[in-house]
Amino acid sequence: MKRRGRGIACMWYPIGFTVDANPSAAVVKVNEDGTATVLTGTVETGQGSLTVLGQIAAEALGIAADDVHVVSADTDVTPMDTGAIASRTTYVTGNAIRLAAENAKAILFETAGPMLQVMPSQLEARDRKIQVKGFPQRSVSIGEVAKRAQVGLGRPPIGSASWNPPTVAMDPETGQGKPFSTYVYATQIAEVEVDDETGEVDVLRIVASHDCGTPINPMLVEGQVEGGISMGIGFALQEEMLFNAQGCQINPNLTNYIMPTSLDMPEIVVDIVENYDPTGPFGAKGVGEPSLVPTAAAILNAIHDAVGVRITSLPATSEKILTAIKAKRAGERKQVPA
Amino acid sequence: MTDEPKTLTRERIAVGDMWRYADDARSLPAAVPPKTLPSEPLVPQPGQQTLAVGQRVTRPDSRNHGLGRTKYIDDLAFPGMLFAKFKRAGIASARIMRIDTSAAEAMPGVMAVLTGNEIPVNSFGPTFQDQPVLADPIVRHAGDGVAAVAAVTEQIAAEAVEKITVDYEPLPAVFDPLEAMRDDAYKIHAPNSNIYASKVVRRGDVDKGFAQSDQIFEGRFTTQMVEHVPLEPHAAIAEWDANGRLTVWATIGRITLARADLARTLKLPMNRVRLIGTFVGGNFGGKNEISQEPALALLSKKAGRPVKGVFTRNDEFISSTTRHPFIMEYKTGVTKDGRILARSVRLILDGGAYCSWSATTLGKACILASGPYKIDNVHSEAHVIYTNKTMTGAMRGFGAPQVCFAYESHMDDIAKALGIDPLEIRLRNVFDEGTSSPTGQVLHSVVVRESLRNAADRFGWETRS
Amino acid sequence: MTDVTITVNGSVRSASVPPETTLLKLLRDVFQLTGTKLGCDVGDCGACTVLVDGMAVNACLMLAAQADGRQVLTIEGLAMKDRLHPLQKVFEESGALQCGFCGPGMLLSAKALLDDNPDPSSHDIRDALAGNLCRCTGYSKIVEAVQDAARAMRDPRTEDTRQLEMHGHD
Repeated sequence: MKRRGRGIACMWYPIGFTVDANPSAAVVKVNEDGTATVLTGTVETGQGSLTVLGQIAAEALGIAADDVHVVSADTDVTPMDTGAIASRTTYVTGNAIRLAAENAKAILFETAGPMLQVMPSQLEARDRKIQVKGFPQRSVSIGEVAKRAQVGLGRPPIGSASWNPPTVAMDPETGQGKPFSTYVYATQIAEVEVDDETGEVDVLRIVASHDCGTPINPMLVEGQVEGGISMGIGFALQEEMLFNAQGCQINPNLTNYIMPTSLDMPEIVVDIVENYDPTGPFGAKGVGEPSLVPTAAAILNAIHDAVGVRITSLPATSEKILTAIKAKRAGERKQVPA
Repeated sequence: MTDEPKTLTRERIAVGDMWRYADDARSLPAAVPPKTLPSEPLVPQPGQQTLAVGQRVTRPDSRNHGLGRTKYIDDLAFPGMLFAKFKRAGIASARIMRIDTSAAEAMPGVMAVLTGNEIPVNSFGPTFQDQPVLADPIVRHAGDGVAAVAAVTEQIAAEAVEKITVDYEPLPAVFDPLEAMRDDAYKIHAPNSNIYASKVVRRGDVDKGFAQSDQIFEGRFTTQMVEHVPLEPHAAIAEWDANGRLTVWATIGRITLARADLARTLKLPMNRVRLIGTFVGGNFGGKNEISQEPALALLSKKAGRPVKGVFTRNDEFISSTTRHPFIMEYKTGVTKDGRILARSVRLILDGGAYCSWSATTLGKACILASGPYKIDNVHSEAHVIYTNKTMTGAMRGFGAPQVCFAYESHMDDIAKALGIDPLEIRLRNVFDEGTSSPTGQVLHSVVVRESLRNAADRFGWETRS
Repeated sequence: MTDVTITVNGSVRSASVPPETTLLKLLRDVFQLTGTKLGCDVGDCGACTVLVDGMAVNACLMLAAQADGRQVLTIEGLAMKDRLHPLQKVFEESGALQCGFCGPGMLLSAKALLDDNPDPSSHDIRDALAGNLCRCTGYSKIVEAVQDAARAMRDPRTEDTRQLEMHGHD
């Protein structure tokens, strides 16, 4: 018989390296037409991080995301970056880019002040213009200002900056300290159907509520969560590198190492928890890794809810579940008085 | 946050934006690959222009992906480029007595062969430099590379690898981390202990906390070894210019560290090494350090031609990093209304043959192990152990998925025994803004309670006890 | 050596290759059509999916000689001159691809499905894409995108296209 169950799991997860410095540096160059080029040493490994970093630069400069081109990952060209690791890119590289953009913008403001006959501190960058705060009609296009800064004043609007998340070393005896600058939080709830005659599990639905601070690009946040859940399902139910007695892997191929396909995926509901972290760029933290952290726990709790067995070793294969169900039934039979 | 319509409306398919199929060549003139790319830039509406943050901005790279135009490393080719293949040990623990590469070198089309003794500094790693580029003379896991070949075709390189013969003296091997922890266990990196890193987080007094508890629960949980399985296998190309400057294109998510490691293994000044990270076809932590790159660079130097190496799927499994298997022992003391007073956790990580990112995994797992819960008395300790298996390293979550599986399974067992709804017991214990974490850190922007409530609402969670 | 002549993306191409050459090697190494990806080389991952006479096949499992005289569509031929295929357009707009390595194979499997079934259910789509592994996306946005593209292609405004297509498949 197929039995349904539900399971919940929550988690916390840090952004960046444990205590160790993990800085990013960045360069933002505003071109003569008001578009911009960003240099970053991080690498696009699929998450869409360069898109997000471009959005951060655009927001800081008051231009559109499409106006920004991001150059990345060339040690001859791009500044130092700790890289696409530890869910740190949006938070750490994002902060470096935001600060670099602010530095470029300061040159634009100093240039535009005399053009608009106000002090630089009275200016803001919006809608591809440098305008007087509270008087948006008094404005000059960013392109015009950038061009004047470069060819008029001889001060090209280029900003550079670096950022490192502040931490405090952990005491070696007690571990007391501030190992990370910030953390994210999440809950996932899974609904499963378990066949109690075969031990097979069908994950029907997962609701994932994730904190990432400000979602710089909600579409990409959803993509990270959905992808993380698929990796979590593989971890919970399918994937395992198996070794023979001599220590050689016996399933080093995708025929025998089973990972989730489109047929293994449930309906996924992604909820982005409203939050703002003042230490992140425009309130953002990160989401790459935490997306899969609670998935296996939620699924295993749902299996327990469905058929009353607690699987304590991953992956929860149908063989393990069926064995546990049989053991439970045998135990129950024993308890019935003869 | 804007919510764009999920469905593609007529408005989004502009009038006149008709398409034809390229495979309809039977009825159409021969199709040619598009010369000019369609130009449909995302033009923000006035007033939205500066709202870059929070927008569902389309990725600029996705058009190239959809057209098959993204250039991954295996899509790059240079004049005269050679192809490298690696000879894997196939034995988990051994001393290499002799490597005979003569038959491989004699094959037409083979341009260079490399063994570990030719590598200037044959060790690397982000924490400890305990991993060789090619094993020499000790093999510590079956996926260790022992030799590499560069040839004019992949086929010839693969055949040449088969002709390399290696004489091994088998050494004792240990695969179980609990066995490897014993004093009398075979030392994989002798004279060092197999316990290669440890971490403790201690707060309050767990013994006192347990003494004050109404009930104490214990649980033991284990997890397995998992591979990242990026769809694109590890790949790299190495090329030298006439000034002795090296350029490497590599699938590495962390080029700063990779350049430092490359310069170190090759004994080159860092300004003579250029590392270019092309678009990586999936990382998940598995591509955050060098692997074959120093060997490709040396093969290229020997042959005087660019050398490309692409891992086979088999290489990817046996010779790249993996997720740490964990053994986790939990003990938790609670009041009868479900408040956690004390928790002790002991984690044993199967650390594989080399350290890689194990120290980071160990630290994060140990810090996170007690869960997002207010617990005055915590003791977490974690140890990572060498075994003669594929090295374990960074993988999405750095130990957090393992400990979350344990602390959340454990939490449900406690809830069930106490007759408290699983959602409710979590709400009674979770962090709030300003909570002091197990390391004594005052937490900010804490929304775990909100995430529990949101998820429960969206799921339609009905309380039962 | 074996002589092979195939129609690739509408163009007739010939090559003389060793008999063990796979269609994948022919496309990537000889014709320089690198959009088709190598992920496992044994037919497990689907990254090398191309359409041969309209059928989705793993190019790593087919010998080049077996494709002789047949029509092959690769990702490079899915768009037509200055127009994206609706699948490409919707995949792009919805962020359906992340690292993109599975993308070419995924798009071609989806096209084979929609050519056969213009109104597939979510399960039909999941079934048709089950041979194309993706490690990044969890398939959610991919499945939604295929549904959206199917809906767009059924839109009455695209009638001209449908006629063209039907004619093409006579």
